[in-house]
Amino acid sequence: MNVAKSRSVRALPLPPVAAVAAVVLIGIVVVSLTGPLWAPYGPAALGDGDPFEAPSFAHLFGTDNLGRDVFSRVVYGSRPVLVMATASTGLAVIIGAAIGLLLAYWRGWADELGMRALDIVMSIPPLILALLIISALGNSGVLVVLTVAFLFAPRVARVVRAATLAIVTEDYVTAAIARGETALGIAARELLPNVAGTVFVEFSIRTGYAIVFIGALSFLGFGAPPPAPEWGLMINEGYSNINASFWPVMAPAATMAALVIAVNLFTEGLARMIGQRGVSGLRE
Amino acid sequence: MARLILSRVALALITLLVVSLILFWCVEWLPGDAATRILGRDATPQSLAVLRQKLQLNLPAATRYLHWLTAALHGDFGRSLVADRSVLDYVWGRAVNTLGLAAFVLALYTPLSLGLGLWTAVARGRAADHLVSTFVIFGMCVPEFVIGIVLTTIFAVTLGWFPPLALIDQAHGFFEALHVLFLPAITLTAAMTAYAVRMMRENLIDVLDSGYVQMARLKGLPRRRVLLHHALPNAIAPALNVTALNIAWLMGGIVVVETVFNFPGLGRLLVDSISLKDVPVILAASLLLTVVYVLCNLLADIASLLLNPKLRGVA
Repeated sequence: MNVAKSRSVRALPLPPVAAVAAVVLIGIVVVSLTGPLWAPYGPAALGDGDPFEAPSFAHLFGTDNLGRDVFSRVVYGSRPVLVMATASTGLAVIIGAAIGLLLAYWRGWADELGMRALDIVMSIPPLILALLIISALGNSGVLVVLTVAFLFAPRVARVVRAATLAIVTEDYVTAAIARGETALGIAARELLPNVAGTVFVEFSIRTGYAIVFIGALSFLGFGAPPPAPEWGLMINEGYSNINASFWPVMAPAATMAALVIAVNLFTEGLARMIGQRGVSGLRE
Repeated sequence: MARLILSRVALALITLLVVSLILFWCVEWLPGDAATRILGRDATPQSLAVLRQKLQLNLPAATRYLHWLTAALHGDFGRSLVADRSVLDYVWGRAVNTLGLAAFVLALYTPLSLGLGLWTAVARGRAADHLVSTFVIFGMCVPEFVIGIVLTTIFAVTLGWFPPLALIDQAHGFFEALHVLFLPAITLTAAMTAYAVRMMRENLIDVLDSGYVQMARLKGLPRRRVLLHHALPNAIAPALNVTALNIAWLMGGIVVVETVFNFPGLGRLLVDSISLKDVPVILAASLLLTVVYVLCNLLADIASLLLNPKLRGVA
């Protein structure tokens, strides 16, 4: 890609939709950081109300089958969702970007071998591999984060490698090689700054995917064990009682949908602003 | 070109071989072994030893992998540990259900994505385009289990138009099956169509702005003819690529959506057999889903190779 061109068209404004999405995102992050200020009840406190109460001023989103306050649980649930999604994506991007940069720099047989290995990991449907890994090693939040990072890293590596291949033949890279810099030094100082936009957009896109992916895992019962106030788990628990009350399902489901939409709209605006590809790829 | 395609196919076969090894290795890590799982609480050290001998669990893992692989290549996937029956019958029965669901999904997906893609590209910038594009964002972002649950809550629990659980085995006749499958099919279609419409729209807009379409228009050809005979064929090729990737995505999507609707398909079987630690079934089901996944990705790959004019004529 033409680096010079994207440099010269700098400072496009963030599209208004993306700005709104950014405000929503900041709102959700602030609420999750200051959870106890907003939540009137504890996340796992039993019997704050009767089971399946309809929404009221005492219980904004009603109560679930154990009489727990749904609103409080949604508020407390935002923290694990955000922490797990950003931690796994951050890890995936760091590892994936490092692999992608080095493969593109080395090229030749090392690149060929590395890509084939990544292809093999990517050729197993990610959800199925995640279910197998988690059931083999046990349910825990940390394991979910590591598994998602492991599944996303090759996909990040592929994108970063493609972006790096476009600039690796530039003169400043040749000059750095001639100066006798090490591969790691060149990757970090010469290549990374020039693919930083791609890496950042990749982080943003993958965070959205990670929220959905981790939500699906905990919905299937392969996330953090109960009584964690995790949205996917809340949806799963509430779904078996959907005939009694839909609030314990709808509240976390709508919040998760709002969060993912906000992340995606923000990413799209960001990508457009810095002249990168958008979210049009398939989630995988 | 032919050599390029052949090498992709060979690569896919090698990939599947390595994947089978990875799947086997994952399953090896499951807590406990087959003997303790079969005997459960009745296990005595003697009966465990006898069963381990019988199931050849004393052999090293590498030997057991080779045995399993050779048997699997001959179509023998062993017997289910839980549902005392041949794994092949068991998995096949469920796969047929999933195939039915997938056929229904594709029957909805194809006309919807073609129609909406064309419509939004032609009406670009107008209210209709904005409306559909908003739905597309929803379909792309909102997790499929959330879509499924919202649809169930509205159309099954509240309105009672459709059954909340897709118990296909109890449906009699074609139309009752369609009725039962409607909600899960719509759920999967929503996510797939969103991507396809978006790709179609972007490609068509590029094509509609191109010189040859303008030429056709200036020649005075009717709008309909320009659209269907000049523009559409060039936008369909990338749409095929997206469709192959969409079907690959479906291999994970069905796991979630079949669970939401309690649909007795392959995805649900995989989740159930993982929680029951029914190793032969896990292996067969996950391998089957992976084969389809790899095949779809291969087809998408070959489609984009064939469509890339730069590669035409390359040996």
